[in-house]
Order: sequence, then C-alpha cells, then structure tokens
Amino acid sequence: MSTLEKFRAISPAEFFYRNKEIAGFSNPARALYQSVRELLENALDATDAHGILPNIEVSIDRDTSKPVVYRITVKDNGIGIPEKYIPEAFGRVLFSSKYVLRQTRGLFGLGAKMIVLYGQITVGEPAEIVSATMGSRKVYSYRISIDVKENKPIILQRGVWPNTTGWHGTIVKIAVEGDWGRAKQKILDYVRRTAIVTPYANLVLRTPDEEIYTYPRVTDKLPPPPRETHPHPHGIDIEMLKIMAGETEEQTLLDFISNEFQGVGRVIAERFLRDYGFKLDKNPKELSKEELEAMAKALKEFGEFRKPRAEHLSPIGADLVKIGLNSILKPEFVDAITLKPVVYEGHAVIVEVGLAYGGAIEPSDEPQLLRFANKIPLLYDEKSDVSWKVVSENIDWSYYEIAFPAPIAILTHICGTKIPYKGVGKESVAEVPVIEHALEEGVRHVARSLKLYLTRKQREEEYMRKAITIIKYIPEVSSALTSFLSSNPEPVDPKAIEDGLFELVKKRYGEHIKELPHPRSIVLSVE
Amino acid sequence: MDGERRLTSSVDVKARQSAADRIRKSFEEIAKAVLAGEEPKLIIPRRTLSNTIYSTEKGILVLGSATFERSFVDAKESRKFMQTMLMARIIYEALINNEYPTIRDLFYRGKHSIRYRDHRGRIGEENTWDEQKESDSVLRDIEVYVNLLREEMLILSKEKGKVVGDMRIRSGDDVIDLSKMGHGAYSIEPTPDLIEFIDVNAEFVLVVEKDAVFQQLHRAGFWRKYRAILITSAGQPDRATRRFVRRLNEELNLPVYILTDADPYGWYIYSVFRIGSITLSYESERLATPNSKFLGVSMTDIFGSSQRNKKPYLSESERRNFIIRAKKTDIKRAQELLNYEWFKTEGWKREISLFMEKQSKLEIEALTGKGLYFLADTYIPTKIELKDFIE
Repeated sequence: MSTLEKFRAISPAEFFYRNKEIAGFSNPARALYQSVRELLENALDATDAHGILPNIEVSIDRDTSKPVVYRITVKDNGIGIPEKYIPEAFGRVLFSSKYVLRQTRGLFGLGAKMIVLYGQITVGEPAEIVSATMGSRKVYSYRISIDVKENKPIILQRGVWPNTTGWHGTIVKIAVEGDWGRAKQKILDYVRRTAIVTPYANLVLRTPDEEIYTYPRVTDKLPPPPRETHPHPHGIDIEMLKIMAGETEEQTLLDFISNEFQGVGRVIAERFLRDYGFKLDKNPKELSKEELEAMAKALKEFGEFRKPRAEHLSPIGADLVKIGLNSILKPEFVDAITLKPVVYEGHAVIVEVGLAYGGAIEPSDEPQLLRFANKIPLLYDEKSDVSWKVVSENIDWSYYEIAFPAPIAILTHICGTKIPYKGVGKESVAEVPVIEHALEEGVRHVARSLKLYLTRKQREEEYMRKAITIIKYIPEVSSALTSFLSSNPEPVDPKAIEDGLFELVKKRYGEHIKELPHPRSIVLSVE
Repeated sequence: MDGERRLTSSVDVKARQSAADRIRKSFEEIAKAVLAGEEPKLIIPRRTLSNTIYSTEKGILVLGSATFERSFVDAKESRKFMQTMLMARIIYEALINNEYPTIRDLFYRGKHSIRYRDHRGRIGEENTWDEQKESDSVLRDIEVYVNLLREEMLILSKEKGKVVGDMRIRSGDDVIDLSKMGHGAYSIEPTPDLIEFIDVNAEFVLVVEKDAVFQQLHRAGFWRKYRAILITSAGQPDRATRRFVRRLNEELNLPVYILTDADPYGWYIYSVFRIGSITLSYESERLATPNSKFLGVSMTDIFGSSQRNKKPYLSESERRNFIIRAKKTDIKRAQELLNYEWFKTEGWKREISLFMEKQSKLEIEALTGKGLYFLADTYIPTKIELKDFIE
C-alpha cells in the first residue's frame, strides 16, 4: 500500500476548540496521558504495521522552572516521514481519507497535530521533529509551530545532516502542560498494557521521577500488518457514498460498484443495479442527491453481496497474546483464542480473548479485565463495556471452579475497521449482540481450558501430597529399622534403608515426583 | 555411680531378654524386606468389636482371625506405620537398657516434631504423635503383632489395685507379708508375672469395686476372720489387678467373688474380670478369670424374689432411702449388655430384667448404712454360704 495517506484539510483551531473533550484534552492530567498515548500509538503504527520490530523510547521530563510543563520525547525505529511531508504531518490538522478502510490504532486521525496544537496553546514551544526514511542518506530536523488562522505549518528551523549509521525512524519532542501526579498511574498502566499486546517490541519509558520502565522484546514474531480494503456495501452511508462517487475514476456505475466495493463481483453488481433500476452505464459523478440516497439505502438492503471478509484485519493472534500475558503478568497458566470473524454493520470484526491465572497475579474479588480495541488498551469506563458484562454477568465462574478472590486476568481484543464505541470518549465498547456472543464464546473457551488445567494440577498435587506424606516419615522409619539390625555382623547404614524406602515410594508415584531428588530435600529436620 | 548399675532380679533379666529377642526378630524382617526392595508392611490382628469373639469353651473374649495390613507406601497408613516403628524401637531400646518405662514415658520419648517441605513448598511441622491416645494405640498394635503383653515387655502402667490377706509373696528380691500392711495395703505391681507366691492361708478371694468399702472391710478385720484375700480394683480394673486375680485363681485354686454396685457399670466391671474387655480382648487369655462369680449387690438382694423364695436384705423404708433412680444412660447400657453373648445366661437375664422393671440402682455403701458390720458379718458370709451369686 502507499505509505502516504490521502489528506483533506479543515480549520484546526475551530476543530480543536469544538473537540477538546472528545479528543481527550479536557484537563492537564488527561492531556498528558492522551499525548503520550497518541505519540506511542503513532510510533507503533510506523513500525509493526510495516513489518519492523519496534524499538520505542518514551521520555517525560518535567521543566525545571515551570513544574506544570512536561517535555514528551518519543523515539521510534519506524519507516520515518519523507522530508517534504514533515511540516504538513505536524503542522496542519488533517483528516485521513475515508475512501479506503484500514485498521489503525489512531482514534481520531489527528495524532501528533493535536498535541502540537495543544502544546502551542498551553506552553508555546515549537515541536521538534527528527526523521529519516528507510535508506535515506540524510537525517532531517524541524522546529515547527502552527499558524492557527491559516492552518499551515510555520517552519522555525530546518536542519539536514548525513545519515552515517543508516538509522531510520522518527523522534518527536513536544512540550505540553500536564499533571504527572494524577496522570502517572494511567500512563504506567497504558504502557504496561501496550507491552502485553506487543511482546515483539522493545518499550522503554522514562518518567519525570527518573524511574525507568523497560519491557524488553520477548519474541521476533510480528502479527501480519493490516491492509487497506474497499468498504463493504452494507457498511456504507450517504456521506461516504457521495465522497466515493465524487472521487472515483470509474466511468460507469457497473465498474464503480464492482471495483470500489468488497464482496461484489460483476454479475452481482449487474443484478443489484438492475433490481433497483439504476442504469449500468451511468457516470457515478452524475448521480443526483436523490439517486445517491436511494443507492445508499439499496446497498445496505441488498442481500446477495458476499459477506465482509477479514483478511485485511490484523488480529494479535493467540500465540502473541499468550506470549504477552506470560511475559508481563508472569502467571502460571495462560491461554488465548482468536475467534472467527463476525460482521457488524458491514464491517468484519475479529474478537480475541486471553486468560492468565495464578503466578504473580494478585487475587482479586473480580476478574482483572484487560480490554483492547485495535491493539489499544482501553482504561476508562470499564464497567460499561461489553467485555465487563460478559466477564461479570454472562459467565458463572463457579462452573469453571473459580472462587473469588482469585488470581485471574481476562484479556479481550476487538479489532475491525469499525468498532461500536459507546459514547464520544471511545473508551468502552457497546453491547452489540454479535460481539457479545463472540466474547462470551471466547471467554468460555479459555475458561474451559483453565478448568482442565486446574483439575489436572489438582490431581498432580494430590499425588505429590500423598508422596510427601510418606516421604516425610522416611528418616524416622529408617532410623528405627536400623536399630533392629544393630546385632547384624555387618553394620547397616541407615542411608541404605532410607534409599530403599525412597525407591519404593518412587515405584508407586514415579511419574508425579520426578523432581524430588531425595527424602532429605523434603525433611528438613527431625528434632 | 559406678559398680553394679542396677540390682535386677533373675526373673526380670530373663523376661527382658526374651521380649527383646522377640521384638528384634519381628522387626528385623521388615528392615530386610526394605533392603531386598520389597514393600514394608505389617499384618496385624484386628482389634475391633467385629473381630472379638466370645469363646463359650474358654468362657472368655478372644481375638478372631481377621487381620489388617499396614503398608508404609500407603499414604493413609504411613503415619501409623511410622508410629509403630518408632514405638517398637523405643520399647526395644528400653529393654536393652534395663529400663522400665511407663506408657506415659513411651509417649514422651517418642514425641518429637518432623519439619518438612510440603507439596506447595511451604514448611510444615508435624509431631510424631500429639496425644497419648495415639502412642497407646500403636502400643496395642505391637502387643498383638509380636504377641507379647506390655507387662512382658516390662512396660509399667499406673498401679491402682490393692491387696491384703494372710499371704507372703516375693517381689524383686524382697519378701512381702501381705498380712502386715497395717491400715495400708500392698499395691499390686505393674508386672504381676514377676511376683512369686511363697505361701498363702486363705479360702477365697473377694474383689470389691470401691476402694472405700475395701478399707472398711480391711479395718473391720474381715479378711482375717473369714480367711480371705481382699482386693480392690478401685473402679475399672487395671491389667495388673486382673492378672493378679487370675493367678490367684489359676495357680492357688482360690474361688473369686466380685462385689460391685448394683448397676450396669458394676456388672461390666465383673464382666471385665471374668471374660475380658472388648478393646483389649487379645489379653483375655492371660488376664481373664472365667470362673469368677458375681456376689452382688444383685437386684434380688434389694427387692427379694418370691419366685426363689428370697427375702430382701433391705426393709421397705431402707429401700426408699437408699436406692437411686436409674438414669437414661444406665437403661441404655443395660440393654447393650443384653446383646452380649456372655450376659445371655438365666441369672443375668433375670437380673437385668428386674433392673429394667424397677429402674433402680444401688451403691455398695448403702449396705454399710445398715450398720458397720452388716456388710462384713451378715451380707457377704450369707451370700457365699447360700451360693447366692450370678455366674
């Protein structure tokens, strides 16, 4: 795919003031959290989505003279930004085209520009960007601010120097007003949860408290990158259809319908157009407002399109979920499943569920829930999320022999080109039946395998307990037995009887007590 | 102290040697089995009610032929197995070291803690045994396993039984005259088999349940006047008292009469003397006195019997004053006794049904209420003379 998105400009200041709350900049704590999160997500999108194993460093520095000012620096080893796009990418508020669909982390398509603008309003320092694309022989640096009225970048400084080490990636440094004290827990949580679903990344976080959190890479396996796809007719609305019809290069409705949508072949496209009375050779650009409305309705209604496909999505994969849960939560048991895609309003959605149990997980009165949507951790509004409903209401844990408090964590991941978020904050997912059912199926699957594991473990433990019940008496019994042999012409070593008894116990419980070297490893002392 | 550490009588040395040999042989086999790679297990006769048989021929309770297996590598049995080995070792070492442990000593000698790491890696601590009940139980197992009574292994129990009478015995290296005990009495030693009878001048043995009654009879000169060996078990008889009574009966041919309260507990005391106890039936062969007789106090002594033309020893008003209403537990106990084979004789059926009818019981002391010498000079001699006893 082309690494450059197609852009469309709107007035940034206007948008920002209208959408400050929605975009997550409602207060200094939330703004700091949101800034770290946007930059980290961009860094990941610049790496794993392009097949690069990410090395990402996030530093947050407190200004020595102004304690509400924080400088956020994020450094990645991604594909980099072509030099001519650097000012645009950071200095003009833009929208991604909706003409093609792709699963991305970014929630609003605003990313770094929002932070540049927020920083400019609250602190007033220009943003610093250093970047080199893959194979570039030069490294470029920019200091940029935004001309709010004109919605265009102001370049304050530009630097170029030779790329001697072959480095590629981007370094972004932006100063914003924040509140580390109140944002700290959320930011730590966010990075930690991100590390769970990106076990293939090296993540380093340096905090204003001079603490360093490192999440080293534990696997070289990357999930397949998401790909662009055409929208499915069932997922279309009038606005979108208007844009598509206006921008298409196809000359006839037949070509437009069969080439610009997924799940539609030529034969089906022809039948669709005939059924609804559209002319096959009409130019899409000539559709009237009424015709567009009728066509949007018809596209949603027509039942013969193929189901939306999910090949373009990028689930994490059960293996990586297990690796991530293992390396961050250090549980004793882990399992995960990627379910078959389901369809939500014409968009394919893939649900993944993971479970971690025991080990370093602290027991709690409710399952610990780790929610993700398109690989982004969701930290707020947990109790109104469909995953919470499934985990706390739909599942009867006693059926799986889990009694709370229990050391159990459930991970849910919903990925798709459209996620049914609840409300404008995009922090919780709505109770859509198909998604709820998939989540429930997934949770039941991993809970079943936990139950199986616990039953087996209990059985093993029972054998071990029985064996130890016997073994702990070996020194006592052998020393007694030795005393009856004291009249033997050749003295018998109590160790010989000890070994003999241990051999007999091994004969009975051999399989289950392999790791026990000797009775003396069980019996510490006989007083 | 140097020189001879202990003055041990020759009987003692012999008993010690043979008991130690027997124990060593029995347990050496277990040790050899382990060295040969075989599962160590004990096959022990069962000491349960279902394996307790009343032998009509011998007139005593004996152990049946049922056995159980105690294997070390069986998680349910391994603790008991360890305890059995521990107990055997302590007894064996005490025998070799010329010691006389009591069962309480055995309990303390063996009690210590084992520290171990459990299946979850936690450190646990466990005592070899927590209560004397546990050590006593394995001691009984060893008695039946090696077929030696604790007395034969020179284990002492608390002594409770007392004896006086015109009789001389040798205990250890001393000769004791049982007619010269003053107001006191000779405590029957815990190893009655080591007692040697020198000479005796008596016609019968009278065993009384109550120590207080024993003392009254002793001071009243009962044993001298009626040529009796007077014994008290002071409640439930211990093993030494039972063995001593048995030896008097068996070796000196003295008839044995037993005097208890008129209630189911008194009857059971008689039954223990006569046929043995259920929990310790394995020792009956040596402890029971099958031809001992229940002298009283019987129900017909209290109420008389028109059938047998017997007058009661108590008047109407004495009865009103002395008898005690039977409790529910007494009734229940009496019903249980009726189920035992050895209580199914004419005499006992009559006695127990009269008890059920009257629902009354009486203590021996009530008879002394009639006057100090009534018991000694009227009641006991009359009963013996008229052969008014139950067998």
